[in-house]
Amino acid sequence: MSQSVYVAGVGVISAIGNNVTEHLAAFERGEAGMAEITLLNTIHRHKLPVAEVKLTDEELIAVTGPTTHNSRTALLSLVAAREALNDAAIPNLKELRTGFVSANSVGGMDKSEDFFVEFLADNSKGKLKNVFDHECGSMTEIVADQLGITDFMTTISTACSSSANAIFYAARLIKNNMLDVAVAGGVDALTKFTLNGFNTLMILDKEFCKPFDEHREGLNLGEGAGYVVLVSDKVAKTLTNPAYCKLSGYNNSNDAYHQTASSPEGTGSYMAMKGALAKSGLQPADISYINLHGTGTQNNDSAEGTAVKRLFDPNYPPVSSTKSFTGHTLGASGGIEAVFSVLSIKHGLIYPNLRFKTRISDLPFEPETKYLKGQDIKHVMSNSFGFGGNCTSLIFSAV
Amino acid sequence: MATNKYLSSTCTIAKNAVNKNGITLFKNPGTDITAFLLSVYQHFHFNYPKFYKMDNLGKLGWLTAEILLKDDFERFNYEPEEIGVVLTNSNSSLDNDLKYFDTISDIPSPSVFVYTLPNIVIGEICIRNNFKGEHAFFIQEKFDAAFIAQQVNYLLDNDILQACICGWADVLGQDYKATLFLVEKKKNEQALLFSPENIDSIFNTI
Repeated sequence: MSQSVYVAGVGVISAIGNNVTEHLAAFERGEAGMAEITLLNTIHRHKLPVAEVKLTDEELIAVTGPTTHNSRTALLSLVAAREALNDAAIPNLKELRTGFVSANSVGGMDKSEDFFVEFLADNSKGKLKNVFDHECGSMTEIVADQLGITDFMTTISTACSSSANAIFYAARLIKNNMLDVAVAGGVDALTKFTLNGFNTLMILDKEFCKPFDEHREGLNLGEGAGYVVLVSDKVAKTLTNPAYCKLSGYNNSNDAYHQTASSPEGTGSYMAMKGALAKSGLQPADISYINLHGTGTQNNDSAEGTAVKRLFDPNYPPVSSTKSFTGHTLGASGGIEAVFSVLSIKHGLIYPNLRFKTRISDLPFEPETKYLKGQDIKHVMSNSFGFGGNCTSLIFSAV
Repeated sequence: MATNKYLSSTCTIAKNAVNKNGITLFKNPGTDITAFLLSVYQHFHFNYPKFYKMDNLGKLGWLTAEILLKDDFERFNYEPEEIGVVLTNSNSSLDNDLKYFDTISDIPSPSVFVYTLPNIVIGEICIRNNFKGEHAFFIQEKFDAAFIAQQVNYLLDNDILQACICGWADVLGQDYKATLFLVEKKKNEQALLFSPENIDSIFNTI
């Protein structure tokens, strides 16, 4: 039986705030989260800006309580997932079938990196405990334990579209009557591995990133976590606070073009957006706002821009990339931006695309640069496109 | 439902020779791996400029798949989603990882970096052939015929795939070997049964 899936709660942590309220305030102030590196121990300090969550691991533990493996990834995940679950305040949660579908791409790697410094110097040194929870799935298990979720859990790792895929997988579990409630989204902490890797690919901007600008020079890495609580029709009716919106459309497509680049025509992104519209039964003209993937790299923005043009020309909805605030949070970005999309509907918001100056020469549209509130937002499209050509679009709709 | 599956074709590249369906098609003794793989590419008149960008694992797997599928695969019988790839090896992408590590002291090379994962070779084969079915790469100590048969049987018996390219592709320094099998549900004239015994024996022949 196909049924609607509702968003009952949201939770988010990123460089611009430790919870939903702080994010809304940062957007209104137009305050970006990038800065010089202060927490990550790397040779790129003072050279590359990143968007760090402004709490140390110890400060995060003070918020969450200690877990079995205090990887920064697990701690960030726990903060946002718990906020989402509390926000949803689902009556009789214990009697419902609840799942945790969480995405990430680095797992407990931050701790493994510490381990290897000691271990490489002396093979008898290094705490094995620090590599025990290296893998992505461990993060999900640790957080599910802390949340008391035991009915179902799974981890999705498909690079930068990971948590968008987690959300739509969770929605399908509810639609197919396998779960009543799912906490879905994702997390990624900054690590040396990802910073060095993206630096090798020569796609990091040494200044603050400029998504969708003709003179964009790359992305800034960020970290954080974002989760939505999805519920079935039946659970939605029991909520004390009304549901935020519905998840009305979703699609995952792959352009099978290159390991780390989209095809110039944006075939994968085009198919994902088109497929999500078809799933929701909407027309391009129905979309009130697009939260772009908008990483700020030459390749993504031109491919995504071309795909938006193919689908929406000549009537473009307002579009912007909130990565101009949060940096690119990789496996967390789909979850974080899903939360922003939900809040866009709830508060009638369109987020500004910071630092935009010059329209991309091949594109007939440009991103919104002003913070707009009180807008009539009915349907928001959220794009998340990953390495390997893994492209996902979600559509959230007002109820 | 479990039905018989057949080895429509097999191809091995090892020891400076290319062998397809038991017949040696090309030999170039005495050359190092890079020169040998290039000579295979040239001998078969392949025209795929991206070949030159690939790491040795990518080149080895790609060439083996090209020769495996050449003349013997009626791809139009299948949808892209019905064809998958299951590969194994014992050295992951270590050959290229070491080369990448050497570039770090100077300027880390983006083009070497993108090959620092073993499953990239599957990507190269899928991009070339527009295969969009399930795929997986397993790292194991040695060629494990029973394991591969179990994986591929599962995919075909449950109609997740209708055809599968499977086998082994491994490179480390000058040591290399690839053996790929094209597994289909329909039986061609001389096709052998797809079984752990048959693929093990073909793998160990060369």
